[in-house]
Amino acid sequence: MSELQKAAQTTADMDMTPMIDCVFLLMIFFVLIIDLSQTNLEDLILPKAEYQEPDDTPPENRPVINLLQNGAVYYKGKMQYDPAVHANDYSGILKMLKLIKQTGNLKMKTENLAGRDVELVDDPILLRADKWTEWHYVGEVMKQCSMPEAAFWKIELAMSEKDKEEAILKGKK
Amino acid sequence: MSDLLAAAQEEAKPDMTPMIDCVFLMIIFFICIDFKTLEAKLPAYLPKDKGSSSAKVEPQEQLSVAVIVANKGTQLFPGGGGPGLINTQTKRPFRYALQGHSIKWMVGPTTVNNREDLLSQLQRIYNNRDTWQEDKEKPGQKKPMPVVIEPHPGTYYDDAAKTADVVKKAGFTEINFGGGLGPQPGKK
Repeated sequence: MSELQKAAQTTADMDMTPMIDCVFLLMIFFVLIIDLSQTNLEDLILPKAEYQEPDDTPPENRPVINLLQNGAVYYKGKMQYDPAVHANDYSGILKMLKLIKQTGNLKMKTENLAGRDVELVDDPILLRADKWTEWHYVGEVMKQCSMPEAAFWKIELAMSEKDKEEAILKGKK
Repeated sequence: MSDLLAAAQEEAKPDMTPMIDCVFLMIIFFICIDFKTLEAKLPAYLPKDKGSSSAKVEPQEQLSVAVIVANKGTQLFPGGGGPGLINTQTKRPFRYALQGHSIKWMVGPTTVNNREDLLSQLQRIYNNRDTWQEDKEKPGQKKPMPVVIEPHPGTYYDDAAKTADVVKKAGFTEINFGGGLGPQPGKK
């Protein structure tokens, strides 16, 4: 009967496996869902890249500018320019770029251009526009980037590995 | 002893809990991975000499790739809504897709109608070493000429980005953009 008693004692131990599993489940769920680096990114459909490599290790301090289809410019979830309100007044975009330059902890370099020393931002800025954003809106943001007050000269255009629009349109059919 | 036998039989039953947990883990992992579409980046450069117009900058020979609209296409709102309407859930305007939109390219004086022909045309220019220029940063060495992409009125980000994608594939490393040629005709 002593063996039976032992067996009874072992079964009385609490099984921790399900609890640990649940904790892992929750951890994985929150790690994947609450990705803090995604807060800068608007929900856009980007053009599909046929040949480019994935942007899997983006620099932490890289500024990300989002452009919606209607030409509205968003930075860190806040609207900086709305064509319907600001029309040809792009001072909001330039002000935002100046602020990024001052506070973004970006690498700077001085270059002599035609006999004049010009201070340039040597880190890239990422432009994320919806695939059906009219080009002139993107061109205007680029123009503001190249203004001497902002002096961004390296840009990166965001593209996607998958065309999410195809799936949406297929789902619609 | 029949109790002991029964207990032994019970213990022989496999415990399904860890396996089910693992399956759930894998299901959640793959569902979440599918939501995270990786993005790609395409480096390009802006003029450095903007604002110093009083000083003369030496002109540089560039390969011009113009992007021209062949067919404007029609707007389709797959998520409902319509032009100018705001989606109350996302607090953003409803998104549209363009159906039937197509473009063509002008590589120098040559017209190209599809992406494959554009790639072969650009690769032909890239492979012709006579088009390469002196590299000012590395004296004695040559580099491919810079490419300037000029999206015409009525073009979209998709058109310009895909053009840059092909230019990069052809081997060119220095990609610039010709400043926006104004809004689409007929728009304010």
